[in-house]
Amino acid sequence: MIAFHVNGEAVRVDVDPEMPLLWCLRDHLQLTGTKYGCGEAYCGACVIHLDGEAVRACVTPVAKASGRQVTTIEGLSEHGDHPVQRAWREENVPQCGYCQSGQIMSAAALLAEVPAPTDDQIDQSMAGNVCRCGTYDRIRKAIHRASQEQG
Amino acid sequence: MPSARHPSPRRRPGLLGRFSKDLLALIVPAAAVVAGVGLLGCAPNGAKHLDSGEPLQPPSAFAAVADDAERSQAMFAEAARVLLHPRCVNCHPSDDSPRQLDSSRMHVPRVTRGTKGDGAAGLRCASCHQSENLSFTRVPGAPHWQLAPIEMAWFGKTPREVCEQLKDPARNGGRDADALVEHMRTDPLVAWGWDPGADRAPVPGDQNTFADLIRAWLDTGAVCPPDTTTPGAAS
Amino acid sequence: MALEKISRRELMRRVGWTAGGLTLGAWAGNLPWTPAALAQDVPADASQAFDPSVYLSIAEDGTVTVICHRSEMGQGSKTGLAAVLVDELEADWDRVEIRQAIGDEKYGSQNTDGSTSIRNFYQPFREAGAVARQMLITAAAAQWGVSPQSCRAEAHQVVHRASGRRLGYGDLARAAAALEIPEVETITLKPAFEQRLVGQPLPIVDLDDMVTGRASFGLDVRLPGMKVALIARPPVVGGRVATLDSSAAEAMAGVQVYTLPVPEGAPGFQPLGGVAVVAPDTWTAMRARRALVITWDDGPHGGYDTEAYRQTLEVTARQPGEPVRVVGNVDHALEGADQRHEADYYAPHLAQAPMEPPCATAHVHDGICEAWAPTQNPQAAQSQVAATLGFEVAQVTIHVTLLGGGFGRKSKPDFIAEAAWLSQEVGAPVQVVWTRGDDLRHGYLHANSAQHLEAGLSADGKVVAWRHRTVFPSISTTFSADAKAPSNGEMGLGLADLPFDIPNLAIERGEARAHVRIGWLRSVCNIYHAFAIGSFIDELADRAGRDPLSLWQELIGPAREVDFGEVEISNYGQPLTVHPVDTGRLRRVLDATAEDAGWGRDMATGSGLGISVHRSFLSYVAVAAAVTVTAGKLRVDDVWITIDCGTYVNPDRVRAQMEGSVIYGLSLAFYGAIEAKDGAIVQQNFGDYRVLRLHETPRIHVRLMPSQGLPAGVGEPGVPPVTPAVTNALFAATGERVRELPLSKAGWV
Ligand code: FES
Ligand code: FES
Repeated sequence: MIAFHVNGEAVRVDVDPEMPLLWCLRDHLQLTGTKYGCGEAYCGACVIHLDGEAVRACVTPVAKASGRQVTTIEGLSEHGDHPVQRAWREENVPQCGYCQSGQIMSAAALLAEVPAPTDDQIDQSMAGNVCRCGTYDRIRKAIHRASQEQG
Repeated sequence: MPSARHPSPRRRPGLLGRFSKDLLALIVPAAAVVAGVGLLGCAPNGAKHLDSGEPLQPPSAFAAVADDAERSQAMFAEAARVLLHPRCVNCHPSDDSPRQLDSSRMHVPRVTRGTKGDGAAGLRCASCHQSENLSFTRVPGAPHWQLAPIEMAWFGKTPREVCEQLKDPARNGGRDADALVEHMRTDPLVAWGWDPGADRAPVPGDQNTFADLIRAWLDTGAVCPPDTTTPGAAS
Repeated sequence: MALEKISRRELMRRVGWTAGGLTLGAWAGNLPWTPAALAQDVPADASQAFDPSVYLSIAEDGTVTVICHRSEMGQGSKTGLAAVLVDELEADWDRVEIRQAIGDEKYGSQNTDGSTSIRNFYQPFREAGAVARQMLITAAAAQWGVSPQSCRAEAHQVVHRASGRRLGYGDLARAAAALEIPEVETITLKPAFEQRLVGQPLPIVDLDDMVTGRASFGLDVRLPGMKVALIARPPVVGGRVATLDSSAAEAMAGVQVYTLPVPEGAPGFQPLGGVAVVAPDTWTAMRARRALVITWDDGPHGGYDTEAYRQTLEVTARQPGEPVRVVGNVDHALEGADQRHEADYYAPHLAQAPMEPPCATAHVHDGICEAWAPTQNPQAAQSQVAATLGFEVAQVTIHVTLLGGGFGRKSKPDFIAEAAWLSQEVGAPVQVVWTRGDDLRHGYLHANSAQHLEAGLSADGKVVAWRHRTVFPSISTTFSADAKAPSNGEMGLGLADLPFDIPNLAIERGEARAHVRIGWLRSVCNIYHAFAIGSFIDELADRAGRDPLSLWQELIGPAREVDFGEVEISNYGQPLTVHPVDTGRLRRVLDATAEDAGWGRDMATGSGLGISVHRSFLSYVAVAAAVTVTAGKLRVDDVWITIDCGTYVNPDRVRAQMEGSVIYGLSLAFYGAIEAKDGAIVQQNFGDYRVLRLHETPRIHVRLMPSQGLPAGVGEPGVPPVTPAVTNALFAATGERVRELPLSKAGWV
């Protein structure tokens, strides 16, 4: 049994400790907001927060979550109104939407640490997230907007 | 001397003094080229160096070299097979991004060192790299996985350049001789080089032999090989 | 359902739908397994009082339900088509629900491909909305005893002008349903200035779900008792299992192993065969698959090597080919030319690599098959699943989820048939998961291509002759073992329809056999054709010592509709009389882009501007790129892109598609290459099939050309001119000409 918190709720799972957190969340906890895109840490579709730090759930063994706080896109904010989510709406960022959970979680982690990032800092922090639809330009704008709004 | 390209923000004069008193005096001029050191086409970017795959020679293998300075240089050249191996230099870059694979291609995704060498906000090394290798997804890992500080950049360097860096506490993490050997012998991130996981080629030999070489190199005066020496060229 | 009145033929006659039976509600599949989030096309129930079209119903509480029969994969047509209908209906956008249709021929073509959703369904959706509006007006007028002409529809109500009386759509739904459906000719469509939604930026309907993680894609389907399958497919197309040791896999808890049937004949949409592991969850399936020990018989394509094949293509491209379009006499003109110039271009295979790899969930039970999948083509999925299972089409229901990108990969339903076959074998719902490696290794690849171009220049720098030979394995090879040359349809993708004013022209094709499954990828052959054409014009300008822009303008020539004589131009399925090749529009987007980019301005050393323009999918797109080369490395700083796609519905989504096209185009220009060695694909993941990332993204400046023209394609036409604009800019910056993609091969990126 591995015990941890997901979006504030205590959970216990009886799975292979090496199972990536991604599949534990998606297959065992029915939290499908965290996406699979590559499974090998290339694309960022699976980014979640572990004790507030952005991590890639596809390469994080579930055992690493033991006793810690996991936050997924479903729990980033209670009403879907985290400044990053609001900015994403304002800039109409998503196209297919598939990469956006990971993009938002990465952006939120960036802003938590660097409240007013420069373009260069955005480049550095978001280089791990692929968007095949090509929403990068709007992602950049939305991060700046969220930065201003969280003030 | 610190490289002009890489100012050393963490110079610690105290350590430098202690370290250099014992050792720097023993350095023989670079012109004293060891006989038998070939010009085997030194890899300019340090990355394309492909190791011979021969076992790493222990200090005893160099016993026949009578001259201490020559022996010191030869042993360092042997140790450089480890130091300049892609497993090591890939995360000792001279810029802000690590390399990966035996080809030392730019790391995909592009990552940057950040303020502490452990990645940028939201894209830390540890956001993917665990404290151990992951066998299934092949992501390498070891405790405190991160980039070497810029002053410890080895990527693209020659054995001689790395040798000079290692002797300079401002460019070796502030280590004196004992600390340097201790680090080489026991550090888990250094140890990863011999157990890189998946299908990665490990650095040659084993960690103890490597540390012994460093120890022996230090004990023989820490003489740096000449500019033209390539890793392992003396073995 | 008593409200369903019109026959299929009547419907076709009245509103111009091209197909569709009207057995609305005849499908009554079991819903208990349907995840509520999928909001599928449930049969109209009693609350749906008024459903005058397969695309629309109105409930007594006033809720308008629009059926989205096209797949949503990021292009925004789910929102766009609904907006078209709702605008005509004069309904309140906030009281509209959109439901995704299952696959059913009654909707007309659901093949979400070829940038067709808006261009083919704009008019039918307007008419559907207008017919319903007229019926609601008629119903209200009857209730009030006034003439319909004295009433108008406004914001979900019918208003009697004179008295100001009002009735809501919900209140009128039942009465409207009792009316005869009027002839479409009697219906007046709104004039453009009265349109409230069309032409306005509109957030997509799934936006909120997408930023909160609630949006449900194919991989998010969860059914009770569902098992997860991964398949070890033959590394070489046409290969089969030689030996299998599955003992280690089967020793894992809950794991079963199945060997899939070997496909017969041309690949088509059949599953590739191989060995499936079926497990309780995805992680177990991944581990179990890796535990399989399989040796393969590679079959006839085991020697496929893309480097060697490239030579074959190039040799063919330098030999005379089969003429497809000939004007004047090229040989003669070349002989008399003041200067001759030749160039060969090569572009490798590409994989679509949508962010969500292929995946599907199927449940075969009680003689039916239900499947949930991110498919671009539910009707083809229905047919292939039926064929794989030996079912009738009517026994198969395809539920369409949101697609995490498609780019053409997801119009091939092989992965859905895999899930169906496995569910039948296992006797439980099965989700087939494709890893990224599976996606790259077992795709329907964009063809690799070699092109040979020759041109003659007159003493005053005019292009007097142009020969263009294209060689690539045809998509037809996927469907017919006999196919051996590019089809007419493929030749029409940016080559046979070359719009230039050149007196001597020869467009030829050469033969090429395929050794992998060839499929379509966003913009298809236009990508390599536009690369060669756009680059060659730039080369000719250099050769003639001219400004490339002026040469482009000269080649485009005076504004006209290009006359192709007897040559049949596929023209994206549209008659040239309706959608001519209009050089005036081509010129306008070119000039606008040149102006936006500041064409002709001085650039710093190591920087350059490049430009290109291309018509595809009936739209006209020009791209200019500004690049900087530092220490031999290319950076694209700015991209200007202008599209004339005729009438557009949602300008924000058109902009988004242009932004996305630039990124998709840069990805393939920079890094796109799928290689094969010993028959097997080399690339394994985004590490060696790299795609553009945020830090490489240029500033993108989009301009939409105002146009009253018929709606044309948006999702694809932005891609083709991107690459030549960039390589031309690279030439301007460095004097180095790139004739081979991707740029990473020569180390530019
Ligand atoms: S799925 Fe985890 S990084 Fe791609
Ligand atoms: S929005 Fe489709 S992959 Fe990013």
